[in-house]
Amino acid sequence: MDVELTEVRDFLASHEPFSALPREALRTLVTRLTVRYYRRGSVLCALGEQAQHLFILRSGAVDLHDNRGILIERCEEGQSLAITSLIDRAPATYSFTAHEDCLVLLLPAEVFHELCDSQPVFQQYYLRRRNKVKAGVESMHATHQGGAILRTRLREIISGDMVATESDTSVSEAVRIMAEATSSGLLLVDDGELVGIFTDHDLRVHVVASGHSLSLPVRIFMTDSPASVDVDAMAFEALLEMVSRNIDHMPVTERGRPVGLITSRDLMRLEHTNPIYLAGDIAKQKDLNSLIDVARRRGRVVQQLVAQDASADDIGRIVTAIGDQVTRRLIQLAESELGSPPVPYCWVALGSQGRFEQGPSSDQDNALVLDDAYDESEHGEYFLRFSEFVVAGLARCGYALCPGDVMASNHKWRQPLAVWRQQFRSWIFAPSSEALLGAQIFFDLRPVHGAEHLGRALQEQIATDAPGNARFLTHLASHAVARQPPLGFFRKFVVAKEGDHEKTFDIKTTGIGPIVELARVLSLARGLRQVNTMERLRAAHDAGLLNDEAAEDLADSLEFISYVRLHHQAAQLAAGQEPDNHLLPEQLNPFDRRHLRDAFQVIRKQQSALAYLHKTHLLS
Amino acid sequence: MIRLFGDRIDQRRRREAERAGGVLADCLATPLPDRATPAGQLPILAVDFETTGLDPAQDKLLSIGFVAVNGTEIDLGTAASFVINAHAEVGQSATVHGLTDDQLAAGCPLEEAVAATVTALSGRIMLAHFADVEENFLDAACRSLFGAGLPLASIDTMMLQQKIREDNNERGSIRLWGARERWGLPVYKAHEALTDALACAELYLAQLTELGEDTPLKKLLGWSH
Repeated sequence: MDVELTEVRDFLASHEPFSALPREALRTLVTRLTVRYYRRGSVLCALGEQAQHLFILRSGAVDLHDNRGILIERCEEGQSLAITSLIDRAPATYSFTAHEDCLVLLLPAEVFHELCDSQPVFQQYYLRRRNKVKAGVESMHATHQGGAILRTRLREIISGDMVATESDTSVSEAVRIMAEATSSGLLLVDDGELVGIFTDHDLRVHVVASGHSLSLPVRIFMTDSPASVDVDAMAFEALLEMVSRNIDHMPVTERGRPVGLITSRDLMRLEHTNPIYLAGDIAKQKDLNSLIDVARRRGRVVQQLVAQDASADDIGRIVTAIGDQVTRRLIQLAESELGSPPVPYCWVALGSQGRFEQGPSSDQDNALVLDDAYDESEHGEYFLRFSEFVVAGLARCGYALCPGDVMASNHKWRQPLAVWRQQFRSWIFAPSSEALLGAQIFFDLRPVHGAEHLGRALQEQIATDAPGNARFLTHLASHAVARQPPLGFFRKFVVAKEGDHEKTFDIKTTGIGPIVELARVLSLARGLRQVNTMERLRAAHDAGLLNDEAAEDLADSLEFISYVRLHHQAAQLAAGQEPDNHLLPEQLNPFDRRHLRDAFQVIRKQQSALAYLHKTHLLS
Repeated sequence: MIRLFGDRIDQRRRREAERAGGVLADCLATPLPDRATPAGQLPILAVDFETTGLDPAQDKLLSIGFVAVNGTEIDLGTAASFVINAHAEVGQSATVHGLTDDQLAAGCPLEEAVAATVTALSGRIMLAHFADVEENFLDAACRSLFGAGLPLASIDTMMLQQKIREDNNERGSIRLWGARERWGLPVYKAHEALTDALACAELYLAQLTELGEDTPLKKLLGWSH
């Protein structure tokens, strides 16, 4: 008996990713499919529905719309749909509607996952497609950008605890409750029913200005039966409501019961987490305390960017831009407090900030390159106080002090250019393994403020001196290959054994660190001037140090590992925790685990290649 | 052959079952879906035969293809196709079905192909494009192989297409490949039994979007008459 459905097989074989499947796999695949016909206008998979199938479009056309009804893509014959929902095992973030009458092949979800497991080409194709679709959504949103206020529901922004009391509470007690909760409004709730609202405005105008006693019950001055808004309303609906009623406070209710209070300020603040507003706000802050408040908003920025599925590379650049802005503002504040600097200087960022790869948990690494006119006895005091001001300010803005003390406040890292030149020469020409272990991040230096030429001079020197020096490169390479990613991850999770982080693994040191170090060695070996890891990989590829496959694999791996890390950190931020790098293996979905394993394999492979190239085994 | 409806077909199936042997007895013993069953829930088998001509008394059955349709979904895992060693020269009919004498010589015995079809038809309504050919050849094959006929209730996509064409005051072809064009269905290489069975099943799903998934079997059979 010959059961080959040649028409279906040939159709699949002429479209990616099925074209890459072995003949036998394709033949089996055909028998797992079902066929349906969708009339124009009917829905294949609704927004918010968990897709049960991969939909392969046999004929016709299907439209993808996002949650705001924006047309994202019109899919044609041969395309596969509902990829993101299947891969993420999450409700569909788009709706799929037949634009024309469609004949559709349906591949059940479990078969899809089996194929992802057994056929790497299959999985890779869909991962790329998924990211492409998401990128498509991003670009659509960029053009339809109306800000967070158009996308956010009140539920997401009202705080956990409702500020409320009973209506016969005294005004003085009511004011105390408001002060304690730093709320400008108070809900009055009797027996679970909302009876009124009392605000700062009521206190000023109706109580104090009219000379009433604070011991009177607040009920006398409250607004009775205030207009309220449902917790599932969009933020802009609440704002419109407030504008039309000329009020600044509104109770939020869920099925008629009060659950919180929303203010026009809360709503306007939504726009403040837009990175552009934030950068602008940072530059406007007049003192340290207000700067601290603004700088700490970057956690929300990261959460939003992750929610919008921006790439890890982009998020790193945005967070770094905010870090640079905070640094510059602190330096300006320091100068206005201490007076103009006696000699020119350049503030340089090192490590992740230097590489444009700051994240929400990054600590600070920085240094000060002073003009050679610097005289310790004359100018030492100024730059000590200056750097301490900035370093302490950064710490208060949430950039933790560097545990290795690589900061401008450390005398050793606050030196004239000539001393720095000598320092880099000694690292490069008389390298010791130990010294280089701590010094690697200095090779990621980038001028942030001040006389940039001082920082640039060091960058030039590194680019000139490093390439010819085999011993130096070999030492760096041996560090870069020393820490191997946990490949046994799937069978038995290789996890940290000590302290709070029992049963977790550190995604920064085991995943991101090795790629950063690989890229750094490659870049220094050729005297390339890039500091960003993605750019270093691209430049190393262009210089012929990495072949197409290796460059692409490393870049994809870095993006994927960083993506997993950012999702983890955004979830922590959302839960009110400090973001860290410690992942619980079980919090990863099977797809992430699989892909993480692939990424780790890429790293191990490239580490071996680097070790061979630089003969690290010959190091005594 | 006269098509039978309602109780009459069940009566005939019971009568044939008394004489039938082997897989045919089992098939006849399995009740067909109730006539009130909506199309969206019908168990169906789309079938296509390639033959040397239209008369089962003279012409030979050369190949069979079938695939199950469950309500509004074709299950490709059920697809089967057979080339039959018919001990006949294909002659001019090769220009239609493309089967060569060599292919047929390498085929399976008629009994194997017919038995598989009869088994697959247990409890299912047959679906074909111009179903007379399949009904007549299957009935004749069953008589010679299993000692009894196989009375069938079948849905005919050609007749459904004709009804839709009349309802909408359209012109256009009711032949399989022409009808498919009307629904925007893909172009296949015509006249290979399994491809034709699949093509017919797809056409039927398209037609259902017009006729409605809640159309009872009774109506589908009536329109197929």
